[in-house]
Amino acid sequence: MAIISVSNLTKTYYTYRRGSSFTDTLKSFFRRERISINAVNNVSFEVEEGQIAGILGPNGAGKSTTIKMLTGTLYPTSGNISVMGYTPFRDRNTYVNHIGAVFGQKSQLVWDIPPVDSFHMNKAIYSIPEKEFKKTLDELTSLFELEDIIEKPTRVLSLGERMKCEFVMAMLHRPKIVFLDEPTIGLDVIAKQKIRAFIREMNRQGVTFILTTHDLEDVEQLARKVIIINHGQKVFDGTLQNLKMNLGAKKIIRVILTEPVADIKLDGVKVIEKNSDLEYTMEVDLENNSINAVIRQLTEMCEFSDISIKELPMEKIITEIYESKSFNE
Amino acid sequence: MLKKYIRIYRECIKISIATAITYRLNFILDNFIMLASNAFFPLVTLLIYGSGAEFPNWSLYEVLLIQAVFTMSTGIANILFNGVLWATMRHIIEGSLEIVLIKPVDCLFFLTASTVDFSGAGLFLGGAVLFAAALSHAGPVSILMALQFLILFISGVFVMMGISFIMAATSFKWVGNSRLPEIFDSIKYFGRYPQNIFHKTISAVTSFIIPVAMIGYFPAAALLGEADGIAFIAVLPCFLFAAAGVLLFKYMIRLYEGVGG
Amino acid sequence: MACSCAVQCGYNHMVGAEMMNYLAKKLKVIRAVALVTYKEWSAYRTHSMVSIFVGPVYFIVQYFIWSAVYSGKASLNGMELSQMLTYFGVTTLIGYLTMDFADWNLQMLVRTGKFLTFALRPIHHRFFALSQKIGHRILGFIFEFLPCLFIFVFIFKVNLKPANYGWAIISVILAFLMNLYLNYTIGMTAFWLVQASGVRRVYLLFQSIFSGGLIPLMFFPPLVQKLMLFLPFQYVSYVPAMVFIGRYNLAGVSMPIPHIVGLQAAAVAVTALFSEYVYRLSMKRFTGVGA
Repeated sequence: MAIISVSNLTKTYYTYRRGSSFTDTLKSFFRRERISINAVNNVSFEVEEGQIAGILGPNGAGKSTTIKMLTGTLYPTSGNISVMGYTPFRDRNTYVNHIGAVFGQKSQLVWDIPPVDSFHMNKAIYSIPEKEFKKTLDELTSLFELEDIIEKPTRVLSLGERMKCEFVMAMLHRPKIVFLDEPTIGLDVIAKQKIRAFIREMNRQGVTFILTTHDLEDVEQLARKVIIINHGQKVFDGTLQNLKMNLGAKKIIRVILTEPVADIKLDGVKVIEKNSDLEYTMEVDLENNSINAVIRQLTEMCEFSDISIKELPMEKIITEIYESKSFNE
Repeated sequence: MLKKYIRIYRECIKISIATAITYRLNFILDNFIMLASNAFFPLVTLLIYGSGAEFPNWSLYEVLLIQAVFTMSTGIANILFNGVLWATMRHIIEGSLEIVLIKPVDCLFFLTASTVDFSGAGLFLGGAVLFAAALSHAGPVSILMALQFLILFISGVFVMMGISFIMAATSFKWVGNSRLPEIFDSIKYFGRYPQNIFHKTISAVTSFIIPVAMIGYFPAAALLGEADGIAFIAVLPCFLFAAAGVLLFKYMIRLYEGVGG
Repeated sequence: MACSCAVQCGYNHMVGAEMMNYLAKKLKVIRAVALVTYKEWSAYRTHSMVSIFVGPVYFIVQYFIWSAVYSGKASLNGMELSQMLTYFGVTTLIGYLTMDFADWNLQMLVRTGKFLTFALRPIHHRFFALSQKIGHRILGFIFEFLPCLFIFVFIFKVNLKPANYGWAIISVILAFLMNLYLNYTIGMTAFWLVQASGVRRVYLLFQSIFSGGLIPLMFFPPLVQKLMLFLPFQYVSYVPAMVFIGRYNLAGVSMPIPHIVGLQAAAVAVTALFSEYVYRLSMKRFTGVGA
């Protein structure tokens, strides 16, 4: 069952053009030029209950505008959104009781006091009964092993500890859907893993997550569904495997030669990086050539001291999608 | 519903006090500086009277009483409402107002409650001391006069609230302008002096349109037994002004959410 | 080539040429930095324009206060009402030409560690701050000074003709420098104190009271006036305003205009030297801490 369904969502902004030269500054005081920008353009998608869906896109692609509209804090210019049967922007007051949000760069904790006091604030805001509050708090803090940490002032906590507390804060009222905006930004590897494990555990308990991130590992480890937005338009919607398959099977081969060669030219092989005369990185399109054949041809062509074969990295996949203008399932 | 808001407000006050305690030294310094920088106005009045000049028909203590009431009102406003402007401004600049909007609570209420700041307490106390000193030189105060004072003073606090909310609302459009308060401070300036020194048009504006006369002048006049009909007619515009502040802020929130935008 | 030139032109001339070269270089820096600052801040020009509202509103209040105070009195502390209004108009306008926040700026640079990027440049940071201030005040001149001057002169009909243009301009320039040196010195406290903003706020408080922007200094009790003679605050606002009006008097000391401007120049020089002394101490501390 779709818990979120979005159809033909569009958001148009208007801004004014402002110059920076001396005459421009004087001129713009009297007359300003209006420009319209389609931040989100006719986007439709659905998210099933209990899914973890990743929304990807470069900076300024329209991700956060979409999230804002999903959370009900921004009115769409046109189109429909339905989340758990609510229209977020219209029913915000009741709707927001059932959602949670973690913004990696916008802290909800009060800086100077221990997180536990901020939690009490949320208890009052969401009218959480004392017993339920206590139970949820115990459960969440033990899951994150935060028992001692929530008593210390927020400002002395490490970023990882603070982020964990942000998650606790967002989950106290037991939301059905949680929006995560760059939840692992700036964290070290261990903290990232802990956060991801937490998300998986909460997901197992039935919470649906909507995730925007630049960290593709988040997506690879968490999201079963991926939506890619670029220039305000949806350019991909499907599973991760689907995404990789759609781009065709490709491998990356990296070789270190013992002697320089004139050039490496093989069928279905593209040199994508050449660090020196001896270091080559190649992309092999397996539709045109088999990996077996490529290696055989390589050994005939040149001598190398090292060779490695890798999957096409996610970054590369994403970049290819961003660069291709329209790309759909 | 009301109970929920009272609970939230209580949590906010707890947090504010906890913060003040953590930064004791800063808190005391803030209190002192706020008090000292508001001490100018009585100072100018003192220097004028000290030079042998005066406001016609006003004794030094009567003028100081106006300024003491004004100072107390400013102190209360600093504790209760003034944080809204800076919080709103910060959220607009950082684009983080969403974290308030996704809470199931009124945005203006939450911003006001979560920025309660007792750094204005020193100012209020300073005003109260001046108030007591000035009042001791005034004639006897009847219960009726005290009651009148209380009503007018509370109306004045509502004007302060209106000004804070209008400033915060303005910061949606005038992003990051830290000089915004100067505009409103300059208008409030009219409320610190006996209104009869101003031109009739000006005192009509300061009584009924932007009722800053209610912040200092009218309540003080009530204690001096000089509250007339005008003072009580001016109570209504005060509440309208406060309501205008609330509505303007809500309107700006709607615009921010992109209604019809 | 260079050698034969030196022989031909003579030693003195060469020093002169080098000096010119040096000054031209400095001017280039000022122009470049001022221009960048101007552009940077012109995005905030509507912030400056707050003054177009605030300045006149404060003036209106002052007008009514002093009209009431002067009722039935021809002069107070040796000033007539019209002079008093001129005084408030002039101090407001001088404020637009001389204000800066070198103190705040420097404290922020030190606190955030950005000062390092300046320490690495072959330029004295105070000179950089001066150039910035010039750019910033050109903006103030256009968007604060000129509009308010227009309103004061043509709408409020305030007499804003200086007693002597030359002395008034020199005095304002000296006030401009004085304010920079003072604020910069206050800003340098950040090299020693973590919470230097407290010092700054207390200083600003004193400055706003004792510079004369609030009320002419002759209104203060005689003892305070005597103290003011020995403090730098009066040179920022009170002195240029009185030079503008054409007579200076404080704590019973009257001085002809050229004398008070000379004294102001001397005070600026002393402050500059003191500021340089503190700067050297700061650099020692900065590099010592940084190493």
